[in-house]
Amino acid sequence: MTPLFGKLLDELDARLHVRRDARRTANKVFPSNWSFLLGEVAVFSLVILVLTGIFLTFFYRPNVEMITYTGSNPVFAGRSLPAAFESIVRLSSDVNGGLLFRRLHRGASHLFIATIVLHMLRIMLTGAFRKPRELNYFVGIGLLTLAFGAGFTGYSLPYDSLAGTGIRIAYTELLSLPLIGDRVAFWIFGGAFPTGDVIPRFFVLHVMVLPAAIIATVGLHLFMVYRQKHTQFPRLGVDGHNLVLGKPLWPLQFAESTTLFLWTGGLLAAAAVLIPWSDVSLLGPYIPGEVGNNAQPDWFLFWLEGALRIFPPLEFTIPPGIVISGPFVAGVVLPGLIFTFLALYPFLEKRVYDLSGEWHVLQNPLEIPLRAGVMLGVFSGLLILSAAATNDILSRMLGIPIEMITWIARVAVIVVPVVLGLWIARYSRKRLRRRGLDVPSSEVDGQERYIAA
Amino acid sequence: MSDEQRSRPDLQVVSEETPPPSQANDALVIGSAIVAALAGIGFAVGLALQTSIAVYGTALAIGLLALGFGARRYFSDLFPDIEAVEPRHPDDGEDDESVAAIAPLERRSMLRNTLIGAGGVFGLSLLAPVPSLGPAPGDELKRTDWRRGTRLVTTDGEPISADNVATGGVATVWPEGSVNNEISAVILVRVGDGHIREPTNLEWVVNDELIAYSKVCTHAGCPVGLFREQDNALFCPCHQSTFDAVRGAVPTFGPTARALPQLPLGVDEEGFLIALGDFEEQVGPAFG
Ligand code: FES
Repeated sequence: MTPLFGKLLDELDARLHVRRDARRTANKVFPSNWSFLLGEVAVFSLVILVLTGIFLTFFYRPNVEMITYTGSNPVFAGRSLPAAFESIVRLSSDVNGGLLFRRLHRGASHLFIATIVLHMLRIMLTGAFRKPRELNYFVGIGLLTLAFGAGFTGYSLPYDSLAGTGIRIAYTELLSLPLIGDRVAFWIFGGAFPTGDVIPRFFVLHVMVLPAAIIATVGLHLFMVYRQKHTQFPRLGVDGHNLVLGKPLWPLQFAESTTLFLWTGGLLAAAAVLIPWSDVSLLGPYIPGEVGNNAQPDWFLFWLEGALRIFPPLEFTIPPGIVISGPFVAGVVLPGLIFTFLALYPFLEKRVYDLSGEWHVLQNPLEIPLRAGVMLGVFSGLLILSAAATNDILSRMLGIPIEMITWIARVAVIVVPVVLGLWIARYSRKRLRRRGLDVPSSEVDGQERYIAA
Repeated sequence: MSDEQRSRPDLQVVSEETPPPSQANDALVIGSAIVAALAGIGFAVGLALQTSIAVYGTALAIGLLALGFGARRYFSDLFPDIEAVEPRHPDDGEDDESVAAIAPLERRSMLRNTLIGAGGVFGLSLLAPVPSLGPAPGDELKRTDWRRGTRLVTTDGEPISADNVATGGVATVWPEGSVNNEISAVILVRVGDGHIREPTNLEWVVNDELIAYSKVCTHAGCPVGLFREQDNALFCPCHQSTFDAVRGAVPTFGPTARALPQLPLGVDEEGFLIALGDFEEQVGPAFG
């Protein structure tokens, strides 16, 4: 401990008795691997989101009444615009630094979701979801869902032409719930689309409800990591089942994280300067009855959009009047099934391989054929769906009729995941057999084999 | 650093590497600190002088990156590089008693079930305020603002006469008095070589060539925006549903399952286009 910190700690300790806990925390050991930093970057992005978000909130007007823009942007000068959109134009063109903070905010939001997704991929591939961490795995899935919600509401707030289209489709998804859809949609939207209530409500969700939920959930997530200690990659000569090996929090991990935080902010600022994104004047305000040609959501919802695009026509009524429609199956049932499956996967693996005990050492997915197959299958399927969300652009670029691209996607999304999944599972089974191994049913067992091999 | 050692009695250090003090490192720390400070000033001044994002944004980026770099070099000079281990199960064997040490008495499960039931009911009743979030849908989603005799007007509110729609042209029109009422949006099409056929309702076609459909896509509700003249197709940009404009707008491709409802179209005495009534089918996406 440096003298200054030591002195401060002495004074605090005399009052709050923190020394023991502080020392234990300072001595907490963090295994190092670059992929463990993904979660950290997500947390740092969240901090940047909150800070920049506060700034934006001072200027944003959550309201869709038409007002006249009197600022300096030549595209909109003198035009009557929905207040929400007008305030974004004003913030970008007339508030000093406004565009920078908007770009930082959007950039951080993409980074936030991207690092959550990659972090989750790492957890799934290496098996960090196994006992005792199943609970935290669920918390993580909840966090991803909340992040999607925050992303979608944030995307909607500028009330540009894209946002309006996205909100309209979300409204349809709510409507499509059998039996109760129209009620639920009216509750959330305050009436039939496009009501004036939707933007103020999304605003409250985006700046209060979702951030509070996300921060609380991140807190819970980190608390569990703290209690359960980190997983780590296997290392020869280290009993990873009983020991954590790595750098202590103070000063080494602290130094690393500080740097990472500052660099995350720095790179986002550099991106905000170099890439001229978030330009609302390219889009224009949302006017009912008008839509631009490329109606795409943010990238992290591409898979949902793709499912809506390639799902075959479907609409039927079950007496006495329950309507099941394509948007319901593709936009509600399908994602529900995928998320449920991913959430239950740890139990499937446990069942199939008859696993017991606690697991703290990570594994190459090729050592567990089921996991390799399932992960490649699910994620290739999601990627194909995401690609299908650009079928109009693909068709224009490749000169292939859109009908054909859609059919290719329909076939591919069923065939490719199955073929790839079976292939990689078979490959990893062979690979195990070649080494004379099988899937160990407990970590201690696996560790012995690892040492023996 | 023996102080260091003493302050971590319970850290089991596996390996420790102390880098020799290096002037190069000192220079890096000081250099990046200076860069960061200057960049910070640059950011503040740039913002105060209302320069462009390229100026103060770059200053911010450089400042943060330099500060991060400096912090890293600083720590690596001040502390040894340590690898340590920590036991995962420090309390093993000490706390394997169950959490609640007092066993419950074997009776009165009814009390417990009543409480759980009451808790459930109470929890559900907390949802009671939900209905006041929005009005009951009623038939608001099933009816539009089109009535018998309502004139078709453009977004500017101008009525349209039967002969000022260009051939092969489409126009977005609204009921007079309800411009921008989303669910009432209508797309007016003038089909070139009049082959309008069943299942189009031919009585609602004006002059064998003017026909009007709901503009709200029956898939997910986007506005159907494009008209392809060569095959008289209406096209929705959201998910590429395609409708045949001369055959009652039945879907020919894409994820939608239902035709665009046709608006009963007529002409009033002054020659302006009017609706002969509301749509007869459900407008927009399915629900219920
Ligand atoms: S909303 Fe028109 S195709 Fe989906």
